Amino acid sequence: MTAASLTAILAVLFAGVSLWVAPALTRPTLQFGVRVPPQHTGDPVIRRERRGYYWRAAAVLLTSAAAALALAGSGLAGWAAIVLPGELAADFGCFWLARRRITAVKDAQDWFAGLKQRVAIDTSWRTEPLRYPVKWLIPPVAVLVATAVIGAARYPDLPSRVATGFAASGAADRWAAKSLWNSFAKVAGQLWVTGLWAGLLLIIYRSRPDTDAGEEGGSSRRYRSFLGTYARAVLVLVTLVNVSLLLAALRTWQVYRLSGIAAALPVLPAAIGLVILLGVAVRTGQAGSRLAGPAGAGGLAGGGGAAGGGGAAGAVNRDDDRFWKGGLIYINRDDPAIMVGNRFGVGWTPNLGNPKGLLLYGGIAAVIIGLIVVRVLLAG
Amino acid sequence: MLLTIEPDGPVPIYQQIRDRIVEAIATGQQPAGSALPSTRQLAVDLGINFHTVNKSYDILRQEGLVRINRKSGAVIRRDAASGPPEAGWTQDWTGRLATLLAEAAAQGMTPEQIAAHCRAAVTGFAFPDPAPDAQEGQV
Repeated sequence: MTAASLTAILAVLFAGVSLWVAPALTRPTLQFGVRVPPQHTGDPVIRRERRGYYWRAAAVLLTSAAAALALAGSGLAGWAAIVLPGELAADFGCFWLARRRITAVKDAQDWFAGLKQRVAIDTSWRTEPLRYPVKWLIPPVAVLVATAVIGAARYPDLPSRVATGFAASGAADRWAAKSLWNSFAKVAGQLWVTGLWAGLLLIIYRSRPDTDAGEEGGSSRRYRSFLGTYARAVLVLVTLVNVSLLLAALRTWQVYRLSGIAAALPVLPAAIGLVILLGVAVRTGQAGSRLAGPAGAGGLAGGGGAAGGGGAAGAVNRDDDRFWKGGLIYINRDDPAIMVGNRFGVGWTPNLGNPKGLLLYGGIAAVIIGLIVVRVLLAG
Repeated sequence: MLLTIEPDGPVPIYQQIRDRIVEAIATGQQPAGSALPSTRQLAVDLGINFHTVNKSYDILRQEGLVRINRKSGAVIRRDAASGPPEAGWTQDWTGRLATLLAEAAAQGMTPEQIAAHCRAAVTGFAFPDPAPDAQEGQV
């Protein structure tokens, strides 16, 4: 097995497990991106579809992991990277199936008929805002600066040709003429990851919290606790990604050399960071839906039977399915929000109905595509 | 303060926001001097156009309940402890109250029932301790 195929297997496992647990991480009133009134969270169709999803997603996870392992073990190690897109597509299929079946029953039985649909907020979110964890930006920036300093010190002593690719044995197999770009690409990567996440978290801290109508106070408190914890876990991940890039840079700068499976060493810190983030997500749930308090979690294997968010006044959250395309993409022109909470899994998504949200998404996508193009051009 | 609106309800959203803030002042959730979110923040949190929030704040400002300042934003200007209402206000309010009570009378409620409902509505409000003046001013 090579370092590259080990990375591919880790990615397949991480994506598979994250998507497998995703239904358990959202509140019971959001099932596969479908808004459900508290009275219907234990509906037979929801129990059935959740069970079905867990089985199908588990099958996708096991098949993908087996395929990645088999490819890594065979002579086709390079193909292991193909498994991940296939796995994501299959998981999306499982999600789409569950969503379509629940929506069909919801529409046929008109679940929201006669219910007062409300939007609830806690204004203290703005008047006593949560502090941005600035101190937690110190570790990723420190690693970035250390990498740049080491690189600057090493650069004059590097030979005219530097390694840009490493074979299974850990020996360099691709070379290029020394340039500022190929020597400092990892530092540019650190700058991008750190800047992107520091900026996104800043927008997220100013975005609206997910608040349950009828349970405003409790859900708002849980959101605070969730955001504080999750943002720190994201910054820990950014630190560990920067450490990964530092280790990869040190290899390019010929500070160390490892062979065989040990050549995958640079991947490890980032992998640990992802596992920590997933652990925090499982602990808190999306918007803190799994944290202690009334209207808490839907169990991992259960149907999310306990009614969550139903206030004494019979207030239910507004049925906003029409703004969610495919249950995953938010497009609402009348909503000034740039980012909103995800409906499936933990995290946030831009409002593509808002020009600023579109610009943000387009900008991130452009940079990622640009990096891939540059990489392909350099490799070619 | 917890604020709940019904976006698809019959009452205009700006009116709902204004009403909820007035109630929060009366119940003591938003005492005089406490801050409200900026119009843009409240619009983002409620997922509505910020002109709608502007309209609510403007009404509250005209009613003398909110002070809008470029630096400190929107701040509650007065509450039950701020003394009797301004001149002319009581007359205007009595007119609106008469319509509301007339609805109850037209629907067949007795004077005792109407009075009982008024008392029940007022029990949730926060009045300053020695407050004979404020009580007289309210009901």
